[in-house]
Amino acid sequence: MPQATRTKKPDVKVVILGDMNVGKTSLLHRYTERKFKDTISTVGGAFFMKQWGPYNISIWDTAGREQFHGLGSMYCRGAAAVILTYDVTNWQSLAELENRFLSLTDTANADCIFAIVGNKADLTDTRIQGPDTDGEQVDERQPVVTCPTSPAILHKQVSREDAIALYSHVLRYKGLEEKACLPADKMCFETSAKTGYNVDSLFESLFDLVLPSILKKRSEGESSTVDLESPMEVKTNKAGCCS
Amino acid sequence: MSVKAFELVPAVEREQVMGDKVRINIECIECCGKHLYLGTNDCFIHHFLLEEHTTAKGMPAYNAQKLLHKFLGLKKPVLELKAASALERLIVLCDSTITVVDMVTLEPVPTGGNKLKGVTAFCINENPVTGDPFCVEMAVVSARKRAVQICLVYEDRLQVLKEVTTPEQPCALSLDGYFICLALSTQYMILNYSTAASQDLFPYDCEERKPIVKRIGREEFLLAAPGGLGMFANAEGISQRAPVSWSENVIAASVCFPYVVALDEGFVTVHSMLDQQLKQTLPFRDGHLLQDFEGKVVLASTKAVYILVPLPLERQIQDLLASHRVEEALTLTEAAQRNIPKEKYQILYKRILQQAGFIQFGQLKFLEAKEHFRKGLLDVRELISLYPLLLPSSSTFTRCHPPLHEFADLNHLTQGDKEKVQRFKRFLISYLHEVRSVESANGFREDVDTALLKLYAETGHDSLLDLLASDNACLLTDCAPWLEKHLKYFALGLLYHYNGQDSAALQMWVKIVKGDLQDSTRPDLFEYVVDFLSFCSNLDLVWRHADWLLQKDQKIGVQIFTKRPDSEGKRGQLNPDDVIGYLQKHNKALVLYLEHLVLEKRLKKEKYHTHLAVLYADRVLGLMSRPTVTEEQLSAARQKLQQLLKESNLYRVQLLSNKLQDSELLLPERATLHGKLEEHDKALHILVHQLKDSPAAEEYCSWASVNQDQAYRQNLFHQLLSVYLDPDVPGGPQTVAAVDLLNRHANVFDAVRVLDLLPEEWSLPLLRPFLCGALRSSVHARCTSRVAVGLARAENLQLKHDRLKYRGGPILVSEKKGCQLCHNTFSEPDCACLPGGKPVHIHCVTKKALISSISELFT
Repeated sequence: MPQATRTKKPDVKVVILGDMNVGKTSLLHRYTERKFKDTISTVGGAFFMKQWGPYNISIWDTAGREQFHGLGSMYCRGAAAVILTYDVTNWQSLAELENRFLSLTDTANADCIFAIVGNKADLTDTRIQGPDTDGEQVDERQPVVTCPTSPAILHKQVSREDAIALYSHVLRYKGLEEKACLPADKMCFETSAKTGYNVDSLFESLFDLVLPSILKKRSEGESSTVDLESPMEVKTNKAGCCS
Repeated sequence: MSVKAFELVPAVEREQVMGDKVRINIECIECCGKHLYLGTNDCFIHHFLLEEHTTAKGMPAYNAQKLLHKFLGLKKPVLELKAASALERLIVLCDSTITVVDMVTLEPVPTGGNKLKGVTAFCINENPVTGDPFCVEMAVVSARKRAVQICLVYEDRLQVLKEVTTPEQPCALSLDGYFICLALSTQYMILNYSTAASQDLFPYDCEERKPIVKRIGREEFLLAAPGGLGMFANAEGISQRAPVSWSENVIAASVCFPYVVALDEGFVTVHSMLDQQLKQTLPFRDGHLLQDFEGKVVLASTKAVYILVPLPLERQIQDLLASHRVEEALTLTEAAQRNIPKEKYQILYKRILQQAGFIQFGQLKFLEAKEHFRKGLLDVRELISLYPLLLPSSSTFTRCHPPLHEFADLNHLTQGDKEKVQRFKRFLISYLHEVRSVESANGFREDVDTALLKLYAETGHDSLLDLLASDNACLLTDCAPWLEKHLKYFALGLLYHYNGQDSAALQMWVKIVKGDLQDSTRPDLFEYVVDFLSFCSNLDLVWRHADWLLQKDQKIGVQIFTKRPDSEGKRGQLNPDDVIGYLQKHNKALVLYLEHLVLEKRLKKEKYHTHLAVLYADRVLGLMSRPTVTEEQLSAARQKLQQLLKESNLYRVQLLSNKLQDSELLLPERATLHGKLEEHDKALHILVHQLKDSPAAEEYCSWASVNQDQAYRQNLFHQLLSVYLDPDVPGGPQTVAAVDLLNRHANVFDAVRVLDLLPEEWSLPLLRPFLCGALRSSVHARCTSRVAVGLARAENLQLKHDRLKYRGGPILVSEKKGCQLCHNTFSEPDCACLPGGKPVHIHCVTKKALISSISELFT
């Protein structure tokens, strides 16, 4: 599949934002490569093209480091969806989303949708520590992954309610009516890039939600382009000057 | 891992610029075609002619020939040089002032009194918006001025077109169409000077670090971002490519598609714009300038000039493939599309895809390999040829040169690993299978089908038979020994058959059935052969194998004659007499064949019917003479005989009669034969008196009168009644049978005749059903005939009515009335009538008829 998407133009853009070390790159990596491996701190940003049905969706993985913060609003420009990512074991990472990252989304599309994602859920919940439920085999040859945090069960610092509250803050910030938007319980996810828990569901439900945005973009694009190939409809009921 | 994308080639040596003066530094460069201009810190412009050539080793080399140098008369360095080749002008920035000099003489040219002063930077619009080819668009930034000036440079004048204000002091800029990409003191922004719309990009501290603003294509710019990033931004302020990661102290950057080249203090780095990876690093000390001119990347230290010569893309791609970096190679190939002519590109792309496919093939990544082979339109024989012995020996195929891969063959590839060999073979099977179904017009059907057959045979694949049974192009000469080697004799037979050698095919199969060859493909091979022969139009073959088949099993064997399709033409039609003659020695088969002719095909030939009846009779007689016969066998045989005797009208009754008359057991059969001869009295005698089977007698009457009229039927039943009532037989009249007969078939009898016949003493209730029935049928007959009479009358009346209606009213003829034809009046009462009742003279009609017949004659 990579060769199929190599040269295509994206139809829509999805951006992953969040503080450093919350696992943005790992989330994307888990989704695209179906693996969890050690990643290095992202420099600048990277993107991945995903073919979703007939459409190409570009997913931008941004750098969480403060140093690259200024680039965020450029990445967000024209985005149809933004994934705000935090670390469930780190309350500060949730706070940063509101303090630092929310303003970056000013450049996103007006109808941009938001997802709040709490990653590293495996660290606080034994139930999702095992391998991925969708049958992904744990690769024996891969070296044991050392997590930046201790592998023992950690205290969950961010509850789901906190995330839901943030979601409504986001909507308020955007000046949107909560009732007119997608419901919070549908847009708040807890995931684990390590085990794969909820990762596919996150991306795929988001892709389905941005489809209308693609169609809108396409129809706008079509109306403004004159198609020289298709025959013009000539009105024949009006008599010409010579007839 | 890295790629060698560029070669660093010296262009202008130190001595050529400064001789022995050590303090002179190169400040700026401009390259325009073969002309290279250098600006130095001692206010000189040097003009070189740059000649490219290739060394004996095939390496690119440059030779710079100094044409001229010109002192501008100041003590300031020349900061910027830009050529306007259409105007033959060189735009110079020196001492914060823009001046214009002639490209050839380097002499200053007047600019119409309009001098731009206090200038810190300027740039040329490479995507100009004015349509004038003799005019250069330029954007200028001045010191302490929060604005950008848009100017037009003509051959003899310089005109300021517009001034656009900026929020901060600009420090660097680049221009594309109406879009100015600006580095301001704290951020980058994009400004549309036509609409004045602006778009902030991202913050960047220009005081701290030198900004880079580089136009890399239509409405796309490359910018130095915090953290040593190279960010891409288009005119809308959107980044469509992921950033590349440079070092923090990057000095200059430039683009040579698909690479971004950057210069820092110690190195030149090459990143791919396609995957953002670092591809090549060249150590380079004291780097000062890096710029691209019309695809040529020029690099300069303060003292000397070098050219970064890109290696041919094909070479780079081959290098990538050589290190098995398939994805990168393909990405690069696809990116090369815009640099290579279409036809050439397609050839290259196909080849790269094929090579990529083979690399993945070697790594057992079959899915990817298949996709690349498919997209690269691989000559399938390239793949087949890797598998020893699969291509037909007659194939003229030779592998393409240079080779697409490094494998000798499968053995080389697998190093004897059996499991791997199997996997490779499975892949080829599936690949060839797909090739067959999709591109049958590939032109190599013989090679494909032959290879597939060999693989199927070798691996014992089920599809072997499907392949041979369907349309295929397997080469017989090549496949036959192979099938034999792998003991696929049945399949070999199919192959012979497909190639029109039915005789060889049958020989093969017969050997298997006989056990001379071992092949358990079809346990029902005997039936298969019979079936095959029954459809075989070559009668010679049928006769040749008939003996053997019938000896083995008459019942199945005879199907070669009985199962033949009807619809064939003359060819392949068997003469039944020949078959019968032949089957004389195979009695069972003969019976089956005759049954086929008589009962199934319903041939109306006396000979066959008689023959079959005689055979049936013989069988019955034979069985009766056998002491061990069972009731079932006998009754089954008799059933057949009886049925034939009753149903057929074609056999010779007398012959059968003679055959059966001696048997005391076969009375029903004899009765039937009497019936066929219309000897009803004899038949009824047998049935009533010898067999004493009154139901059979009644049935006989019904059967014998089935296609006869009512009177015949009545007679027959009366005959039976009189047999019953005959007092002159031993045992006297059979009253009960007679009463039953009458009561059951009341409507057949003539009641009056019956009543006369019956003895007086019979009671009325005894005959009640008969009498009721007789009465009822007589009343019914009367009613029916009355209805019929009524209907006939009505019809008659209707016809009369119609006749009157069509005749119409009276026709009046008088002396005053004229004839329709001659318009004379009538003098006599005789007249003829035209259709519609128009009276005319008789002679007029005759004349008219005569005329029309004459005119018909002439036309």
